[in-house]
Amino acid sequence: MKIIENSKVKEKAYIEKLENGLTIVLIPKKGTHKKYIIWGTNYGSIDSEFIVPGEKEITKVPMGIAHFLEHKMFEQPDGTNSLDTLTALGVEANAYTTNDHTAYLFEATDNFYEAMTELMDYVQHPYFTDENVEKEKGIIGQEINMYEDSPEWRVYLNAMKAMYHNNPVKIDIAGTIESISKINKETLYKCYNTFYNPSNMVLVICGDFKSHDMLEEINKRLVETKSKGKIKRIYPKEPDDIVQEKIEQKLEVSQPLYVIGIKDKNNNCEKEIVKKHIAIEIILYLLMGKSSKLYKELYNQGIIYERPSLDYEFSKNYAHIMISGQATEPEIIYEKMKSEIENMKNNGIDKKDVVRIKKMIYGNYVKEYNDVGDIARMFLSDYFKGINSFDYLEEIEAINVEYLSQVLEDVFKEDKMVISIVKN
Amino acid sequence: MEYKKIELKKGINFHIIKTDRFKTNLLAIFLTTKLDRKTVTKNALIPSVLRRGSKNMMTQEQISKELEEMYGAGFDCGVDKTGDNQVLKFYIETINDNYLPQKNENMLKTSLDKLLEIVFNPLTENNSFIKEYVEQEKNNLKNIIEAKIDNKSRYALDRCIEEMYKYEPYGLYKFGNVEDLKEIDEKNLYEYYKELVSNCKIDIFLSGNIENNIVDEINENENIKLLKEREPIYEFSKLENKKTDKEKIIAESMEVTQGKLVIGLNINIEDEKQKYDALMYNMILGGSATSKMFQNIREKEHLAYVASSMYIRHKNNIFMNCGIEIDNYEKTVELAKKQLEDMKKGDFTEEEIENAKKGIIASIKGIEDEQDTILTYYFGQELTKNKVTLEEYKEIIEKITKDRILEIAKNIEVDTIYFLKN
Repeated sequence: MKIIENSKVKEKAYIEKLENGLTIVLIPKKGTHKKYIIWGTNYGSIDSEFIVPGEKEITKVPMGIAHFLEHKMFEQPDGTNSLDTLTALGVEANAYTTNDHTAYLFEATDNFYEAMTELMDYVQHPYFTDENVEKEKGIIGQEINMYEDSPEWRVYLNAMKAMYHNNPVKIDIAGTIESISKINKETLYKCYNTFYNPSNMVLVICGDFKSHDMLEEINKRLVETKSKGKIKRIYPKEPDDIVQEKIEQKLEVSQPLYVIGIKDKNNNCEKEIVKKHIAIEIILYLLMGKSSKLYKELYNQGIIYERPSLDYEFSKNYAHIMISGQATEPEIIYEKMKSEIENMKNNGIDKKDVVRIKKMIYGNYVKEYNDVGDIARMFLSDYFKGINSFDYLEEIEAINVEYLSQVLEDVFKEDKMVISIVKN
Repeated sequence: MEYKKIELKKGINFHIIKTDRFKTNLLAIFLTTKLDRKTVTKNALIPSVLRRGSKNMMTQEQISKELEEMYGAGFDCGVDKTGDNQVLKFYIETINDNYLPQKNENMLKTSLDKLLEIVFNPLTENNSFIKEYVEQEKNNLKNIIEAKIDNKSRYALDRCIEEMYKYEPYGLYKFGNVEDLKEIDEKNLYEYYKELVSNCKIDIFLSGNIENNIVDEINENENIKLLKEREPIYEFSKLENKKTDKEKIIAESMEVTQGKLVIGLNINIEDEKQKYDALMYNMILGGSATSKMFQNIREKEHLAYVASSMYIRHKNNIFMNCGIEIDNYEKTVELAKKQLEDMKKGDFTEEEIENAKKGIIASIKGIEDEQDTILTYYFGQELTKNKVTLEEYKEIIEKITKDRILEIAKNIEVDTIYFLKN
């Protein structure tokens, strides 16, 4: 096993790539009661066009199928449901689908190995019937309706629609009631067989255990499979420019919700992505963090009353910044933000502020190593982006004003900015 | 993990939770007072005024800069409703000295001083808070109170609670009422603040890898020295007689795609200790994926994605929640009631009981792995007369029998059915 170590948070990760292509990441953490296991496949809502290894034709599947598949994986041939079995063991089990990956997980204080048997069994043995596929359409239909009523989700998705012409990241992860109506067991099997191959998957475990013993436990539970060839994923071509600068939706809310987006060029997880990510975070805090001039001004004018969340979201084929929150007049934030970015470009970045914000961000990274679940999820999602999570703690030191100025010029461009608003 | 409670002065307790499991130290101050229509809005306003500035850190910008210098010490404050109490909460989370790039900084002491400063040494002028701060925060609080409608599921639950506890303290919204704001100014708010800090119950929690001299350090702190001992006014959680003659049905309209159904239940029991049985009952009814509600409403009938229930221990109520097609209202209510009837008939197996136990015990064992959950647990202990250690808590759950859960089932009644539709 390859060992990676971080002296700042004093943690180690053991990484093993098996012959069948499965990657295993083990992070032993002494003294915790909880163990957390998460098994993910590099397959999310954006993967709806692909060429199955060995085939020539392009396969097109309905939107929302990755999420539908996640729901159906729990079904067993003997009529039981693995979620019930895991719950009955007293473990906290769940699953989720994102744009670029799907993950199955549980957290346990007791019965970890029994539960691990169940988890590894159901992920390796799909069982779909016409009947159990039909039944799920009603449940997922209610999940879709629940998101229809969520102003946060609406304002987020609209921002995506304003930024992206073709990239499927702009479509609801769960699909639509119409798109899921076309899903049947054959397409589910096809997607499963393509994307749930070990070579497309990563298994992460964090908790109190010995890495070698755990590796053996995993091996015992693996079904023999061969590594398949590379899946060719087809994504529509996405222009660099935005679709529309402003997008608005009416919903019954007390005050407008907003997302300001800045579309970044698809950086395809370039080598410097961690450094770039940290730099963007620093710039966002300098612009709109609690100690910033702009925050103070907007707060004193009563336009904002909570700190906006500041995020850089990226995957292998999209990247964008999001500044989001609730405010009385989001348009003013948007305009002021633009001029503040210009000011920063013209007047330069203050070194003293950078030193302080770097200290804060360092602290924020350290805090991510408190909880076994947070650690495991972080390693999984970073892995699919080609990132070793520890790098964030190491790269931060090297970031200087020159580099920040360069990122500011490259990414914070006025013609790439959009604003999405949901209001009454 | 090691827990110690030290009475600094009468009514003021210092809780130390020594643990080396975390990269952080978590420090919290809770001010607890009775929920009251007359003071609910003032209490909600106080934390946000305090975080605007103190005697030695006069602006929000200065506070933020100092926290950022402390490796991003996370400061947070807010207000909660726990039983018939309103609790003003202030937190600061810092990196443990072991994980700092420089070894010579005593982050814990700095954060203790800063938090005490923010809570007990506010910026004032002419025996009032700063007018500008109070006016701005009144406006912000108005926005927060009105934001209640934004999360529709949470809104439906809050409305159900309000209807069940009409004219009672627990029916109050934790952020108070917009109409009270016009009466509040920098002067009367400061007057009230002084009264509050002299009479409320004060709990200071510290969790992390802590050195032994921390008690001396807190005793030497000027802000602690200035606090007087008190006979704190707050409510222990108790059992109340909340029988109803007839279930209330309330339907309200809003722009929603999905209907949000909340059914509030009373549990008519005599003995405080039966609350553990009620917790078990709830777990079987709607507390997990194997529960009656999840299995029958979601998995069998496909009526909902969310079908669950929760138990509020301090008030001894269960709330059933479902997000459904609006047309399926009658069908879902009927099915939800059937689950209660089935429970009453004893239609649950030993296996279901065992599963529920495992689930609850796992969450008890997990408490020590979550820094804020440990605080919440010990704070909960402060508000109950039946105190138990985590060990005892597990043993009590282990011993619960089917008969005892049946006793709960027999004494459950529907109080209010609330439906949010379009």
